[in-house]
Amino acid sequence: MNARFVPALFVLASLVAVAADSARDWKTDDRGVLIAIARAPVEVRAWKNPYAGQPEAVLAGKKLFSQHCAGCHSEDATGRGRAANLRSSGVQNAAPGELVWVVRNGNLRKGMPSWSGLPPQRQWQLVTYLETLR
Amino acid sequence: MLCVAGVCVCAPRGTRAQEPPYFVTYSHHLEEPGNLEIELNPDYGTQRGGNDYLASTMEFEYGVKGWWTSEFYLDGQSTFSDSTIFTGFRWENRFRPLMREHWINPLLYLEYENVDEADKTMIEVTGFDNQADYLPRNAVLRRETDREAEMKLVLSSDFKGWNVSENFITEKNLGHDPWEFGYAAGASRPLRLEATANECNFCLENFLAGVEFYGGLGTSWRLTTAGTSHYGAPVLGWQLPSGVTLRISPGFGLNGNSHPFILRWGVSYEFEGFGWRLRKLFQ
Repeated sequence: MNARFVPALFVLASLVAVAADSARDWKTDDRGVLIAIARAPVEVRAWKNPYAGQPEAVLAGKKLFSQHCAGCHSEDATGRGRAANLRSSGVQNAAPGELVWVVRNGNLRKGMPSWSGLPPQRQWQLVTYLETLR
Repeated sequence: MLCVAGVCVCAPRGTRAQEPPYFVTYSHHLEEPGNLEIELNPDYGTQRGGNDYLASTMEFEYGVKGWWTSEFYLDGQSTFSDSTIFTGFRWENRFRPLMREHWINPLLYLEYENVDEADKTMIEVTGFDNQADYLPRNAVLRRETDREAEMKLVLSSDFKGWNVSENFITEKNLGHDPWEFGYAAGASRPLRLEATANECNFCLENFLAGVEFYGGLGTSWRLTTAGTSHYGAPVLGWQLPSGVTLRISPGFGLNGNSHPFILRWGVSYEFEGFGWRLRKLFQ
């Protein structure tokens, strides 16, 4: 194949992928995060949040949420598109260990990236903030 | 410089990436789905017996899925006392085969590149790549175009804030030549692991530091670390609250086949929800 066609094919494939994706239903969908929580190993429920009850950690977590999560879950955490509503009872009733496990592992098939690149301290700060959204 | 600093601090808010600050080594962290990151990564290299050069890649990185990132590169270079030329393009795809985090996380990397021999971006070292390869004038080098397929196995781990990544590289010219091999490895961590409560530009939490090593491993005809080039480079990244990331890395050749010094720097900005906005155009 002539190499000159490769960029054109790249652009065409991208447009087809985007057009196909646009035909899908983009209502807020909490099922993905509930499935991810359900998949968390049992032992993570016993993990204790080292920042529980620390107001500074809540503020730090809010900042981290704004930097990393608000783009998909919206600034008020009520969800957007396929990104789950993090104020929903399914999320708020989860144990802190389950939430940090989901943050760390993500739900790659459903579009939630893994945030294992954040140090564990920041993952817990994020969960400390999420727990205040009840 | 002041303008660049102003843009970095005052840019409309983007999103914060979690990638380590490496220039050559890949980790298993992918672009967040729907986000588009635009990067400019120049490098300045010194040349034994020839003219120093300034090369650069312009990169467009898009998170297609949670487990798939696609990236398109445009390459160019300017050799002092010679010429400034466009040297080609690359298209890479990275896939995570495992959907959960493990102690060691594999990532598969596939790339097609169409660059001429004058390309000096050196975003990997393979085969018997040698600093002397860059000696001829651009007009001579660009007569030959390389169409190559490249594959990498990336193994990457996150542990207590550290990222440790190892890359095994293989490259094949689609026209001729044997398989070429190379490696890259890096380790990095943020200078502070906890986040502070307030937004700040100069907090230690915004800085990442580390080191990376990369070099060639010969070809399928002769697998060796001799006769090829090797580099070691400290890396420093600065993630600004505005979403701009700045990186710098002074690299040092570790043997006589290597460029004595390569200074890399990069600036990137991540547009969150780019795919979502694009989709709205089609609805």
